Amino acid sequence: MKKVAYTYGSLGERIKTEWLIYLLAFVFIAISDWIGQIRIPVWKGSFIIFPIFFALFMGILSGPQLLKILDNKKVQGASKLVIVAILPFIAKLGINAGANIMIVLKAGPALLLQEIGNLFTIFFALPIALLLGLKRESIGATHSINRETNLALMQDMFGPDAPESRGSLSVYIVGGMVGTIYFGFMASMVAATGWFHPYALGMSSGVGAGIMMASAVASLSEMMPAFAEEISAFAATSETLSGVTGIYVAIFIGIPLCNWLYKHLEPTLGRVTKAGRRAAEMYADVSAQTLPEDKKATLQEVEECLDTEQVDTGTIQSDQALICDDSVPVTGDESK
Amino acid sequence: MRFKEWIFLLIVVGLGMTVANLIGFGVSVTDSLPGVLILLGISIVAVGIDRVSPLKLPVIAYCSLLAMFLASPISPISDFVIQAANKINFTAPLTMVGSYAGMSISNQLKTFVKQGWKMVIITVLVMTGTFIGSLVIAQLVLGWTGSI
Repeated sequence: MKKVAYTYGSLGERIKTEWLIYLLAFVFIAISDWIGQIRIPVWKGSFIIFPIFFALFMGILSGPQLLKILDNKKVQGASKLVIVAILPFIAKLGINAGANIMIVLKAGPALLLQEIGNLFTIFFALPIALLLGLKRESIGATHSINRETNLALMQDMFGPDAPESRGSLSVYIVGGMVGTIYFGFMASMVAATGWFHPYALGMSSGVGAGIMMASAVASLSEMMPAFAEEISAFAATSETLSGVTGIYVAIFIGIPLCNWLYKHLEPTLGRVTKAGRRAAEMYADVSAQTLPEDKKATLQEVEECLDTEQVDTGTIQSDQALICDDSVPVTGDESK
Repeated sequence: MRFKEWIFLLIVVGLGMTVANLIGFGVSVTDSLPGVLILLGISIVAVGIDRVSPLKLPVIAYCSLLAMFLASPISPISDFVIQAANKINFTAPLTMVGSYAGMSISNQLKTFVKQGWKMVIITVLVMTGTFIGSLVIAQLVLGWTGSI
């Protein structure tokens, strides 16, 4: 946060490098807000396309991998600008929360406790990640919603090339591409069930990802205009709480919980024997040290060795041993 | 980032917000101005607090808490703050966020395509689970405490 080394030598240098980003942003704003909102009715709710989605989409198109208007250096500049742009929005939400402070305080216990609910995703997503054949990647992928701080945390804890960090990075990237649109849509679909109070919907929108929270609040406010103020007040408070507690929850509960679940579920849901699991862990440990490609091949041999050893000693059941054979290519796949 | 850079970038963001409010919602520049200034002012002060604060909180937390305080009944300027901010439509500040966010992930497009369907499913599940988990607890606790 309080970096000593600056990206740019001076403000002038920054402007000289980034002016095109600012200019493009204004072009995107003009186009996006001119198009305005588009509402597509879906079931009992609606899929609302906000200007932010058009802007996001145009931003992605303008990059070095498609239209090449921006080069890599400028793209790196843009990532620092997101936090600057979101601050006034957070202030706007904070004002809503302050204006409704009595309602917010009255709901204090719910606000605090629902933060724990963010961990539910681990029980939900980790088993399915294992079923899909992920190994230790699943820990990074499902320990939290994987925004910037979580990604940094995983890289810090496990090393940038560890499978845990790769899983985190994957969800971070996919979340960045589809998260904003999906989160708003999902929130409005859940709201359409009519089972949940707007207050509850508002506070669960604050998950520690500002742009996703914004998307959910925008969609929910459109659906329930009478509660728009309260929804954004609760979202802002919950988002602030997530911002403060998120990283500690991840360190002290999320990651240990993932590790624990992984340890207990991977042998069955990961469709591998105990020997396979041990091999997978060994593989994970070694790959964390970033071995060159050719050495990874020998790892499979180690795995196979372990498998035979375990079968011979008869410590595992035969049906597990059968599945074990399938598991080898799956683990192999993960190395790529 | 230097404080000077923050101020400059926030002013750019303020202009973007004003343009969005004008084009998207027909709010004139003069009508938007007090709200934009309030939002920018809170942001700049939040950055200042973040730089001197010994606590390791995200700058967003300071920004939100400061705004909450200024708009709460104990603040002498709460009425002005709330009225000014109300002129800024909810989604107006967001278009700029989207533009920057889109540009900042534009170099990940190929990596994204390479992730494959499994990662997309897992990401969707992680987002859904995070939301639903909080939602169920919020609904239950709000019910128990008689808030709804």
